[in-house]
Amino acid sequence: MSTVQFDVFSGGSVTIDHDICTGCTTKACIPACQAPSLGSVLIAGPDGLPALSVTPEQAKKGACIECLACDLACRSRGAGGLTFRLPMPELDAILAGQSWPS
Amino acid sequence: MAKLLEQVGKQLLRQAGIATPDGRLADSVPQAEEAARDLNGPVALKAQILAGGRGLAGGIRFATTPEEAAHEAAALFGRVIHGRTVERLLVEQCVKINRELYVGIISDAGRRAPAMIVSTAGGMAIEQAIGGHGSASLAIGSIDVLKGAPPYWCLDLIGGLALPGPLLASLANLMSRLYQVYRRYDCNLIEINPLAVTPRGLLALDCRMAIDDDALFRHPELDLARSQEVSDRAPTPLELAAALIDEKDHRGSAHFVQIDPDGELARAQKKISIGFDGVGTGVSMAVMDELVPLGFLPMNFCDTSGNPTASKLYRATRIILSQPGIEGYVFASCLSSQQLDNTARGIIKAFLEIYPGGQPDIPCIFSFRGAWDETAIALMQEHGITASPWVEVLGRDSTEGDLARGFAALHRTWREHRV
Repeated sequence: MSTVQFDVFSGGSVTIDHDICTGCTTKACIPACQAPSLGSVLIAGPDGLPALSVTPEQAKKGACIECLACDLACRSRGAGGLTFRLPMPELDAILAGQSWPS
Repeated sequence: MAKLLEQVGKQLLRQAGIATPDGRLADSVPQAEEAARDLNGPVALKAQILAGGRGLAGGIRFATTPEEAAHEAAALFGRVIHGRTVERLLVEQCVKINRELYVGIISDAGRRAPAMIVSTAGGMAIEQAIGGHGSASLAIGSIDVLKGAPPYWCLDLIGGLALPGPLLASLANLMSRLYQVYRRYDCNLIEINPLAVTPRGLLALDCRMAIDDDALFRHPELDLARSQEVSDRAPTPLELAAALIDEKDHRGSAHFVQIDPDGELARAQKKISIGFDGVGTGVSMAVMDELVPLGFLPMNFCDTSGNPTASKLYRATRIILSQPGIEGYVFASCLSSQQLDNTARGIIKAFLEIYPGGQPDIPCIFSFRGAWDETAIALMQEHGITASPWVEVLGRDSTEGDLARGFAALHRTWREHRV
């Protein structure tokens, strides 16, 4: 099964694991995708699974507006196949010796 | 504003043809002694720190021999001046000064143009001159950025000052060169104080430069961190991490500054440290004005406005909530066109990743007021954030006072519950 993967402008990446999406009954990420002007970045592919409507280069250039709607939709209503990573290595390094506030 | 150290500013001045005293950098006492020996005469040892009032604070010392220079350097290295540790010295040749002048260019927001300021008195006397209490005279002129500041324009500006003719000519030439540096490096401020009139001609004895934050990307050669805008203290690790958010993404802004990084001010004032984020500076100030009398002091100021992406809110929120010791979080929006559903998604993602189920264990209050505010509130409910007993979400009918009082009530209950 394939994987959809693209980088985003601010420095991060989106990975959609179709092995997991196959078992998803809602495909909630697709209607949640709200990117304007270019239409939705995520569309249903021929197999009904989420696919990119633009090239990965276009997505990275800003076609994906990083609204995180797909991420939250997948978390709450999907099967968890979509991962939106927004790394912060500098913060992680600071926190390495520090616990979260409680 | 990103400030430049004196030594860096002077280097840029020299590249533009503005003379400075002969000098050497020293990172150790032996290097300072060697520099004094090289310079072969009386020297000034100047702490290289980003702080004003350096001379008055003892950050500049003088020596007549290399041995004396070593002694003075030993007294300076490691010394803390205005919160900054002295780790580098500029050892400069002392010069014979006939008189001191002042020349500066600032970005004059009121006139939307650079303003050139020249005073016939420099050094500490500039304060009196600007205050109108001294005998010095001032010349101030707005520069047309399309025409620049050619020497004839500069000469015209200072023609009325009581300065001898030859000095006027060389001063006008220097002013014109100074403007070239101001423009080339996108400065908000460039200042030579004092500008010394010496037997060798005009010499820049000091240099203050500040670069426009939004132009820093144009000057990688300066290797400046965006967060040097926090002025008289070194940026905190969190400020440095936060500065990268805007650096990598121009969509909207996330300005994060720690007002009370270690909570010391809050403890001294017997207040409670909290994390803070606001959509716009105005509403932030208003909410902080309401929070402080109720006993809370934001550990940070953060402005996430200009319709930032949700990913920018995610990163800013993670940084705010990573401040140790905060006893709560306040998010305030103003009535603006900012798309608050995006704002909420970023916050929600951060909460989901920080707290189990996205439900914080510290009191958190949000006001969503503006475009897509109802959607934002619905998202907070949908993703379980509001299921926490320590979360309250206010809508467009709430005021800044409601937000602060709501937080105080929430915090009170939270404290009672902890006990």
